[in-house]
Amino acid sequence: MSYIDAKSAPRREDRLGTCIEFGGLIGDIARPFCEGCLKNRSRGFSQGTICQLLPALAILTSLQDTVVIVHGAIGCGGAVHSLGASVRLGQWRSGDKNPKGALWLSTNLNEQDVTQGGEAKLREAILESDRRYRPDAIVVLSTCVPGIIGDDIDGLTEDLKGQISAALLPIYCEGFKTKVMATAYDAIFHSFLRNMIDGRDETEFSVYDNEASVAAEAIRRHRLVNLMNVSSMTGPDQYELTRLLHKLGLEVNMLPCDAHPDAFRNAPFAALSVGVCPTHDDYFMGYLEERFGVPFVGSQMPIGIENTGTWLRHAAGRLGLEDIAERVIASEEAELNKALEPILPSLKGRTAMLSAGEVRTLATAVLLQELGMEILAVRPYHYDEFGAVDVEHLARINPAIKLNVATAQPFEAVNMINRAKPDLYIGHNSDNVWAAKCGAAILPIYGTNSIYSGYAGAYDIARRIKRHLANTSFNEKLSRNVRHPYRESWYAEDPFKYIKQGAA
Amino acid sequence: MPRTRSSTSNREQLSVKSRFIERPRSFCALGGAILTVTALPKVVPIMHAAMGCGASIYWNQYGSTGYLGAGYCGGLAVPSSNIQEKDVVFGGVERLEEQVKSTLELVEGDLYIVLTGCTPDIIGDDIHSVVRKFQAEGANVIGAEAGGFRGDGYVGYDIVLSALARSFVTPKARKRPKKVNLFGVVPGQDAFWRGNLLKLRSLLNRLGLEVNSFFTEHDTLDGVRESGDASLSIVVSEFFGMRTAKEFETVHGIPYCENPFPIGPTATENFLRRIASELKIPRKRVDSLIEDETRGYFRYVERVADAYNDLDWQRHAVVVGDANYAPALTKFISDDLGWLPELMVVTSQVSEDEKFKIDRVVDNIESGYPVHVVYETDPTEVKNHFWKHIPRRTDGLHQDVFSPGFVVGSHLEREFANDIGADHLTVSYPVGNRVVLNRGYAGFDGSLSLIEDLLSVIAAQR
Repeated sequence: MSYIDAKSAPRREDRLGTCIEFGGLIGDIARPFCEGCLKNRSRGFSQGTICQLLPALAILTSLQDTVVIVHGAIGCGGAVHSLGASVRLGQWRSGDKNPKGALWLSTNLNEQDVTQGGEAKLREAILESDRRYRPDAIVVLSTCVPGIIGDDIDGLTEDLKGQISAALLPIYCEGFKTKVMATAYDAIFHSFLRNMIDGRDETEFSVYDNEASVAAEAIRRHRLVNLMNVSSMTGPDQYELTRLLHKLGLEVNMLPCDAHPDAFRNAPFAALSVGVCPTHDDYFMGYLEERFGVPFVGSQMPIGIENTGTWLRHAAGRLGLEDIAERVIASEEAELNKALEPILPSLKGRTAMLSAGEVRTLATAVLLQELGMEILAVRPYHYDEFGAVDVEHLARINPAIKLNVATAQPFEAVNMINRAKPDLYIGHNSDNVWAAKCGAAILPIYGTNSIYSGYAGAYDIARRIKRHLANTSFNEKLSRNVRHPYRESWYAEDPFKYIKQGAA
Repeated sequence: MPRTRSSTSNREQLSVKSRFIERPRSFCALGGAILTVTALPKVVPIMHAAMGCGASIYWNQYGSTGYLGAGYCGGLAVPSSNIQEKDVVFGGVERLEEQVKSTLELVEGDLYIVLTGCTPDIIGDDIHSVVRKFQAEGANVIGAEAGGFRGDGYVGYDIVLSALARSFVTPKARKRPKKVNLFGVVPGQDAFWRGNLLKLRSLLNRLGLEVNSFFTEHDTLDGVRESGDASLSIVVSEFFGMRTAKEFETVHGIPYCENPFPIGPTATENFLRRIASELKIPRKRVDSLIEDETRGYFRYVERVADAYNDLDWQRHAVVVGDANYAPALTKFISDDLGWLPELMVVTSQVSEDEKFKIDRVVDNIESGYPVHVVYETDPTEVKNHFWKHIPRRTDGLHQDVFSPGFVVGSHLEREFANDIGADHLTVSYPVGNRVVLNRGYAGFDGSLSLIEDLLSVIAAQR
């Protein structure tokens, strides 16, 4: 992976051919994707959406003992005012009874800085952050404005490295650079791999002072796995996945979200990296294998019953724990099925539409099929090779499912909902309200204090869907009393009318 | 209580110079502009910006405005050109033209406002040529540059309203003597904007005035269009909305009068007298309104006075807020609620030559209680100002400490309040731990809600 030598990570469009514009039947995407026909598409009408800066903020502000400096205009970090709620909750959960929330700064670039450059302000912000907060790490997130005016962030951070005690990580997240927000994950890991993870083994230094403790540490590492959580994974999700890995006798080094920077430093010494979302961490785990020989698994998201089993089997298989895994899966599934039995009749045959990140949407749709619901449409934020397995799975059961690749774009969603009239819409916050105004019941696909992953997640999702379907009067009355901003004529149009073919 | 009377410290001066800000308590100019446009009746924003500005602004809104939702065409429904790197290189005008055309085709609005984000603003896309092209075809569309680097959310409010004054409001030579425009309450930056505007509007109605408040359910876009024949712009701020008021003065010849944001009977009486004198409303009319409102206020206050006194609900207080809220809250809790404002932290970036406006409010507090004023943008520094002003003493058994204490601020002050053992209520931006619908704190009536909210925090512990 020669990418690592570059200042910043490549765009997902370039690395993986990722696309964000498609509408059609679910079986119809595989071929044009493979032939590269989905590249360079665009929309003639689009709505404001998520750029790579935002998932980067979600992950980085959750890191312990870390200050995030958003180098840009005053608004670029503002999303943390809401993202910070889950950060605060995470701190509370890990024992801080007066949690401080996310700590971030804006370099507050103004008109003068646009003409004169923002490096001086960034320098002051870095020095003052180090002095004021004494953090383990300072992350500099660079946005559109310095990207255009040409601030030399790498030069500046190199220059300051000897002057401050915190580790310094420049990350490039210009919103105009890529249309695939998931590029953020590569951008973050790229910087951590270049600037923090050096494979320095503490057992070779004074921390471990005798042979017995060195041996004990070697044994521990033999059963240590990097569990790659994602920011749309809640505290209870992390608990559930850790619980399952513990059942295999494994110890967990969890990163990146809510982690201390030491979790990154220790990642090269794990026996295995276990991903929970290939779209999230392939870049990181791939490099860790290449550079430090840490193998990885993680082509499957542990959302859904069969998916969770597959996820466990993959992890166990790399460590020779197949037998234990089968026993765990059998007992977990038996327990789950017993619990689901009284709930499933309320879900049977009810219809759903889903929208969220690529793998998340598709895996959750697979779970809903397992629960006996009918999937009408899936709307992943983007599509690339990581979506292929779940897409095939969904298509096999119901080839009539519509697939709309769109990073939100509620105008397409509302048109589709108006035709298909799903009982339930499952989407991210900010996406859900448009379906709610159509009268659909809503299950948020991610919530700061609910569980979605593993067997406990499968049960809880079923339980909550039953709850949402049991009383839909709030959204029904809403739909009768408010209207969408689109002209009536829009509902007779093809929902994908504004997607334009690009040159292949 | 021991208090230090220090002269302005280094840090207080530093916060005036533009530098980094910890957890900024505001939107960017584009965010403020979007919040303002989506607060207008059936007006549709068209963003000419990079793709992430949409969610960035909306997620900010989500956590800072008392759960103000997207509304008619806000949030992730805001039409946006979502310009890419190639547009940065070759210019984004063509893409904007396509987006305006498709928006007009798809989205129903009575007025469309094109707003630029940082990226097209810096590369210098000429949005006005695009706007003129569509205007020539009969579309009701205007445009304004609102790149985030142009300032905070308050600036965005002024950008939009100034653009309306220039490009949308019909010029009228003859003014209507009893008609006024109301500015200075910034949607979103003030989480209680709807309630505050409603309270002020109804108060001014009772003074016999016809009020254009632009953003309430009683306002219409026609009302905005016809706002050029008002006789006075009333700005309930000495900082926000001033550019708008000046624009209305320049373009439409409407004079303005700026006022401290009025909360509570004392401040509101001053406010009403000021407006009445500007508009030459007979003294008797004002007197009778004030008398009536005051009587109404005390009908309620009378019946909480038992608990206030029996349960000793007077508090030492720290007030943290923007240039509107900080002095207004300080004045109310001091002049009407009888509390002791020890420290007032103004979080706006106020220039040196405008600080006298805040001093004027604080110096005129009736109790004469000495309020220590600092200008500080950074939440973690509030605690340092507090301890500097009220030093921890370790000598002696008996201490005159900040207790019982109350922090009236934003949700960013929760931890600070916990640290100093004080109660806390979120009023100023960001408001992420309260849900706000039609609640407002302005005027006589609004201050009753504020009393409810402040004292309920204390009562909830019983």
